[in-house]
Amino acid sequence: MTEAAPAVEHAEPTLRLRGVGRRFGGLLAVDEVDLDVVHGERRAILGPNGAGKTTLFNVICGDLSASTGTVEIFGEDVTKKPARYRAKMGLARTYQQSRLFDGLTVEDSIYLAIVGVEGGRLRPVLVPGKEREIRERAREAAGRVAISHKLGEMVGSLSHGEHRQVAIAMALAAEPKALMLDEPASGLSRGERQLLTELLLGLDRDITLILIEHDMDIALRVAESVTMMHDGRVIVEGTPDEIRANETVHDLYLGRGYGHE
Amino acid sequence: MTVDRTKLATERVIGVAALVVAVLAPTLFSAFWLNSILTQALILGIGAASLIFLSAYGGMISLAQTGLMGIAGYALANMVTQRVPGGETKGLLLGWDPTVGLVAAILLTVGIGLVFGAVASRSYGIYFLMLTLTYTVIAFLFVGSVTLIGGFSPVAGVDTYTPGFIGDIVTDRERLYYITLITAVFVYLLVRYLVRTPFGVSLQGIRDEPVRMASLGYNVALHRTIAFGIGAFIAALAGVLSAWWFGQLSPTTMGLDATIQMLVIAVIGGLRRIEGAWLGAIAFLMINNEITNRIPSSGLPVIGGTFNTVIGFIFLAIVIVSPDGLMGLWDRMWDALRRRGGPPHAEPEGGEPAAVASS
Amino acid sequence: MKVGKWKLLLPLALLAVGATIGTSGALATPAQANEVRFAIMTDCKGAFAFGYEVDTAGTIAALSQYAGAKPKNKKKPSAGMTGGSAGGKRLNLVGIGCGDETPALALKETRRLMVQLRADIMLGPLSGDEAVSIAQWARQNPAKTVIIGTAGSQDPTMQIAPKNLFRYHGDGAQWNAGLGEIVYKRLGWRTAALIGDDYSFPWTSAAGIIADFCGIGGRITKRVWTPPAGGDYAPFIRQLPRPNQVDGYFWLVGGANTSAALTAFEQAYGPLNARQHSGNLFLYFLGANTTVAPRLVGAYMGGFGTFQTGGLKNAQARNYVRNASRWFTGQNVNDGFFYNYWNAAWAMVQGLNKSKGAVGPALQRALPRSLKPGFQVANKGVLRLDSRRQAIQDQYPLQITRASGEGTVSTSIVGYVPNVDQTFGGYFGPNKPAPGRNYPPCVKRKLPWQGKIKVVKNGVITNQVIK
Ligand SMILES: Nc1ncnc2c1ncn2[C@@H]1O[C@H](COP(=O)(O)OP(=O)(O)OP(=O)(O)O)[C@@H](O)[C@H]1O
Ligand SMILES: [Mg+2]
Repeated sequence: MTEAAPAVEHAEPTLRLRGVGRRFGGLLAVDEVDLDVVHGERRAILGPNGAGKTTLFNVICGDLSASTGTVEIFGEDVTKKPARYRAKMGLARTYQQSRLFDGLTVEDSIYLAIVGVEGGRLRPVLVPGKEREIRERAREAAGRVAISHKLGEMVGSLSHGEHRQVAIAMALAAEPKALMLDEPASGLSRGERQLLTELLLGLDRDITLILIEHDMDIALRVAESVTMMHDGRVIVEGTPDEIRANETVHDLYLGRGYGHE
Repeated sequence: MTVDRTKLATERVIGVAALVVAVLAPTLFSAFWLNSILTQALILGIGAASLIFLSAYGGMISLAQTGLMGIAGYALANMVTQRVPGGETKGLLLGWDPTVGLVAAILLTVGIGLVFGAVASRSYGIYFLMLTLTYTVIAFLFVGSVTLIGGFSPVAGVDTYTPGFIGDIVTDRERLYYITLITAVFVYLLVRYLVRTPFGVSLQGIRDEPVRMASLGYNVALHRTIAFGIGAFIAALAGVLSAWWFGQLSPTTMGLDATIQMLVIAVIGGLRRIEGAWLGAIAFLMINNEITNRIPSSGLPVIGGTFNTVIGFIFLAIVIVSPDGLMGLWDRMWDALRRRGGPPHAEPEGGEPAAVASS
Repeated sequence: MKVGKWKLLLPLALLAVGATIGTSGALATPAQANEVRFAIMTDCKGAFAFGYEVDTAGTIAALSQYAGAKPKNKKKPSAGMTGGSAGGKRLNLVGIGCGDETPALALKETRRLMVQLRADIMLGPLSGDEAVSIAQWARQNPAKTVIIGTAGSQDPTMQIAPKNLFRYHGDGAQWNAGLGEIVYKRLGWRTAALIGDDYSFPWTSAAGIIADFCGIGGRITKRVWTPPAGGDYAPFIRQLPRPNQVDGYFWLVGGANTSAALTAFEQAYGPLNARQHSGNLFLYFLGANTTVAPRLVGAYMGGFGTFQTGGLKNAQARNYVRNASRWFTGQNVNDGFFYNYWNAAWAMVQGLNKSKGAVGPALQRALPRSLKPGFQVANKGVLRLDSRRQAIQDQYPLQITRASGEGTVSTSIVGYVPNVDQTFGGYFGPNKPAPGRNYPPCVKRKLPWQGKIKVVKNGVITNQVIK
């Protein structure tokens, strides 16, 4: 069990938010957020329920448009670009509520994650060589999250923990440059959490990781830097140690012994 | 797993048997059964297949399919019929070459389908349903009120002017039956193939989680539009065959009744499996035929609604017993067998260390 | 989803039983040699649903009169008939078609009757578009014989005119012969607007009015067509010129929708003035409307070449009424729906007698080219078919009159137009377009009967001409 490796100092920013806000009617779910994440960084985003973490993810990946501010990923302003464009730039994510394809097999689901960024999405014919290659990659990704034995099962028939595995396999299979995980550990058993932590720690250093996690143990072990959100705003940024020591954080979060979800 | 394999094998056997019966049908059934019930069932089945393709694999329940069928038929009829003495009296009577007309009618329908699809591509559920119903209503009112292309009177003669490779289908109805059968098999194989391609698997992903698909890099609206275009292509085939089979076109073929009928066929067959299209069509037509023949002679008061009432009850019964129609019933029977066939597989070995990580 | 096995098997078993019953009719059985299979095609849904009993009554009454059949139920014609033979063969009524005035259903029903139930002869249909549809079908099925029941579109016996299709009554245009001249002369109309259902019968009907009215010098200033499905007439009424902008209106809005359309007119332009309104036989359907109908007393209208009440006072007409009335209770034998099906069935009997029960081309050759129907006066009461097997028929323009019941109306004959042929003396023709929304054009032209329409008073044809 290694501690998180020290942050790699890379010049290129993976993510750059300036003044990002998102409004739902009268509710300001995300409010004037500035955020910089650099290449290879492991960043955790913490905050109590309703802090706006998931909404921020949605604005970053393009599922929701920003009401104010600009979103830059990999140095490009993508504020006006659709989610699919950002995905093809190398941004992959998982969802808090799994959002998987219940009517497809595990293999097909991972296959879709690869096809989504590979091109040929609209191809109405089977090109055997291409198919074999993508399926091979899909099986390999399944192996990385230890779900190989369920490749042919319908996703809808799997357990919650297996859903999480599939979601991560899909995100990894696309070989993203940046990976955003929304509470990957929620609902997992102790053993499954252990596996997840190891998976995250062993992740390629070239992949930038942004993680929302209520499980402090995992979050603070994996992350090198932490952003704390409350009421849609960023209230504290710092290293895990600084966060552990921060009083506001304690009041809001740690002290109250927040559970999962 | 073994139950699944048995099921697959059983389905294969039934499928092959059905095909053999279909091929031998002209020697097995009376002319009426062949030319009316079976041919019509194949045609309605193709139409329903276009609906089930969209619903089973795209999550789109479209009521536009009858409208698109009508558009194809009307386009064909207006393009190929000729102004001759003792001949047709309604429609544009353009007198084009039948092959050109056939291709043009199908292309036109696919084009209109793509436009329809693009407009509806961002709608889901009940909104999609209503929008597609609107398409059919528009098509109905268009052909009805533009008397130049037909109006409410029948446009006839479409079966007289067929391309050379289709041949004479007016006197040789067996020929029409086989053409329809070949088309139905083609459509079935096309759908079965298509859904295994990247396009088809993606479509199923969009059916389950459109938002997820967008963040995986897919242009969801474009995908749905193209799927709708493919649905329009299948509907166009059904529309052309229906025009040939009927020999005449009138707006009621795409009226509300026809639209609901198509939906009922699809629901009876089962909206989740493409096979349901033809199963639903044959079941529907057999019920239909029995009732129309029986009721007047049994001395019941002939009310226009009698048929609809009876079919309505049957429809209700099927939906209550099996929301996924007859095919759903079939699937559930096997599910029950599977549950009976022993305990489910032992849960996967939870503690096995993961083959973790890339470097 | 805990479902017992039997619950799943039960529907499947039911389905199998259903399939067996369903396919039991699938295997062909040979037709019996000693019978003639025929069918009635009429409507049982839509604006002409009443036709189901009336048309069947006319048919069975004629077969009872001329072929020894017997109604099964005197009060309910659709119960069918027993007995009956012609040309030495038993008459087998295999079925009664149930249309809804749409061509699609008519064609479906035709196939059911003629192919599945293997009828060789069809008496029907009832409505104009249905007849266009069935004429096209007949053209492709020369072995079958169709005798139109009471459908008034022009195309079936003019442009399409297959050799196996017969019509022993006028088309919609013939049925309106003389009407335009009467409103021109008696009411002084010079301009008129026209509103009708948007399909082949009203088009044909309008063609007759236009030919007559324009022929003598009138002008049609506006033609408005409404979807035959009915519904809201207000937007269409508003397209008509106001009552002070034209001398009159011709109404061709049909069946159950006639009074809805007239009511919409009243709502837009105030109470109807009988001197400003005329129309085709659709105005018959006003009878039940005790609000609008009385305001139209005095208005002129076309007809079937029959009369709703009070016959012609001559022996042939009286004879028909007496014979036709014997078989059913509660049927108005003066009604064109009854009368036309009667004549069709009567012609079929004559044809079969002559062909010795043979059907197909033999029957088509044997079917009479002339008939002595109740209301024919010219040619000593003999109605002739033209070369396209279409009747040349006497026509009687009608006037709406008050009836005995409160708010009810009836009609009386005002004129006699002898021997109206389908071409109107060359105005229409097989190589000219069938009537449509804008065809024929409004032109001045001499029709054969112009200035020769006889006045009819109290059912007696006088020697005066209408002035
Ligand atoms: N689609 C939406 N429409 C309206 N309000 C929304 C929507 N999505 C989120 N919200 C609201 O925005 C606020 C932020 O929600 P968000 O899901 O981003 O919080 P979170 O930090 O992810 O919380 P949790 O830890 O519970 O997942 C909440 O008050 C939530 O109710
Ligand atoms: Mg959240």
